[in-house]
Amino acid sequence: MQSIISDYNYWIYILLMMIGLYAMLAKNNLVKKVIGMSIFQTAIIVFYVSIGAKEDASIPIIAHGPGHGAVEAAIDVAHYANPLPHVLMLTAIVVSVGTLGVALAICLGIHRRYKSLEEDEIQEQL
Amino acid sequence: MDVVVIILTVSALVFFFATTVGLLRFPDFYSRMHAAGKGDTLSSLIMLMALVFYNFHEFNLANLLVSMKILLIAVFIFMASPTATHAIIDAGYESDIEPWTKKPEEES
Amino acid sequence: MIWQLDLSILSLIVVCAFATIMVKDLLSAAIIFGAYSFLMCLLWTELGAVDVAFTEASVGAGVSTVLFIAAVHQTSRIVKPRKSGRMLSKAVGLVAALLMGLVLVIAEADFPGFASPFSPASLHLSPYYITQTLHDTNVPNIVTSVLADYRGFDTMFETAVIFTAGLAVIAILRRYKRDDSTEIPESYTISEGYPDTIIRFVARQLVPFIQLFALYVVAHGHHSPGGGFQGGVILGASFILLAISFDTRMIIGLMSEKSNILLGNIGVLIYAGIGFLCLLLGANFLDYSILSKVLPATDKIMARSHGMLGIEIGVAIAVMAIVISIYINIISHGKYDKG
Repeated sequence: MQSIISDYNYWIYILLMMIGLYAMLAKNNLVKKVIGMSIFQTAIIVFYVSIGAKEDASIPIIAHGPGHGAVEAAIDVAHYANPLPHVLMLTAIVVSVGTLGVALAICLGIHRRYKSLEEDEIQEQL
Repeated sequence: MDVVVIILTVSALVFFFATTVGLLRFPDFYSRMHAAGKGDTLSSLIMLMALVFYNFHEFNLANLLVSMKILLIAVFIFMASPTATHAIIDAGYESDIEPWTKKPEEES
Repeated sequence: MIWQLDLSILSLIVVCAFATIMVKDLLSAAIIFGAYSFLMCLLWTELGAVDVAFTEASVGAGVSTVLFIAAVHQTSRIVKPRKSGRMLSKAVGLVAALLMGLVLVIAEADFPGFASPFSPASLHLSPYYITQTLHDTNVPNIVTSVLADYRGFDTMFETAVIFTAGLAVIAILRRYKRDDSTEIPESYTISEGYPDTIIRFVARQLVPFIQLFALYVVAHGHHSPGGGFQGGVILGASFILLAISFDTRMIIGLMSEKSNILLGNIGVLIYAGIGFLCLLLGANFLDYSILSKVLPATDKIMARSHGMLGIEIGVAIAVMAIVISIYINIISHGKYDKG
């Protein structure tokens, strides 16, 4: 029971990743495959972000008073969430939107050429 | 101050629940959008008011600024959400969705 | 970090993911994908990752959904079932997914517990960033300081990737008037730009405030969640709002193809240019502390803060131009005449 309480979230992330993988493999429509790719990417991002989370930790912005004077009090590491996975995942999200744009452009190009978005109809015409 | 926050939050939840029930139970696209648009905006506004009052636990300048910003968000939602509802209903009207009329031979 | 809230949001996310891939109508799938992105954003806020949640809210729940709907608008909306070999493809997909899932679950036994402060990811490098960022750069937002200063090369190449994606979309889709040999198939349109007064009025009123907010997000990224990417995407989204409520031709009049690519270029060049400036002044590439020689009345620490602001502006300009360019290309099928 202890392992379920402490590990349940990893199982759900793995479930999300497998939903995305299944959509990429088994779906017929090209846009559904692209949606599966997006689900896979966001599942991996949430996996990384959850590694950086800490119990009873606040957001990774050092608390300071209003205005620009930063407070140089003693900074307790355990009080702030781990910022490194957040940085890596920021890059990942922006790259994923670029990839999404290119994937949808390829889908449009295929539709213009083969008049269909279904994988089996395209394979017949090839 | 706590009582005000609790009253506002509970009423926001009640309105949200009514919106969801209306979204599921109404027989027609237009009436569903009517319920969703109005109830959505209203419950969001009441929830934001609750947050504004919750911020007044400590009465200093920073919290006042935060409450001002929440009020600005409320103004934005008040402008944008009914417009979005209008856009969706317009799209439905343009694609010729028939309004629901009460059929006289059915017992509902 | 309340695990009950975590579990409920996660179960809603799984339901949305199932619904997105099972629904037969592509427009509904795009809208449910928007809801899925927004629930992800809520989950990340609850886990404490506010910068990531901000980016996902603007990028995933905003621009991604609009790009999907634009792509569906240009092609067909219906999903046709597979003609033959349906069980085989589903079986292959299920078996592959289950095998991979099994491998991952077995590997998962070695992971640290959920949200423990003693996991190895939090013990070695990140305490240095957390404790030293105010002292080194005078920027309280740790994510912005790591993104723009400690890991600046990463962000530069990411901006270059965004620019390359915009170029790739243009290379794939752009059609000029001369070689119009292929016929564009009839797309599923509801109405051809029905001019609606309410939507146009409200959009025209809201867009200046949206752009002002985007500039605020870029400039205030040092002290609050925000930064270059989020501000750039919100700026691009304001233009997309104008394009949706009015005609796309109006946006092409405002931001033509040439100026879009030029702005994207300028954004990347600002980033690399600041790096080269540091190189010319005698320090390493992208080492901002040497900029204190050029900027008046700053010491080495504040120069790093100002250098970060400069590259955030470059990133925002590049991202805005590319988001607008990708949208225009997809919605007009590369022909730039209607939308």
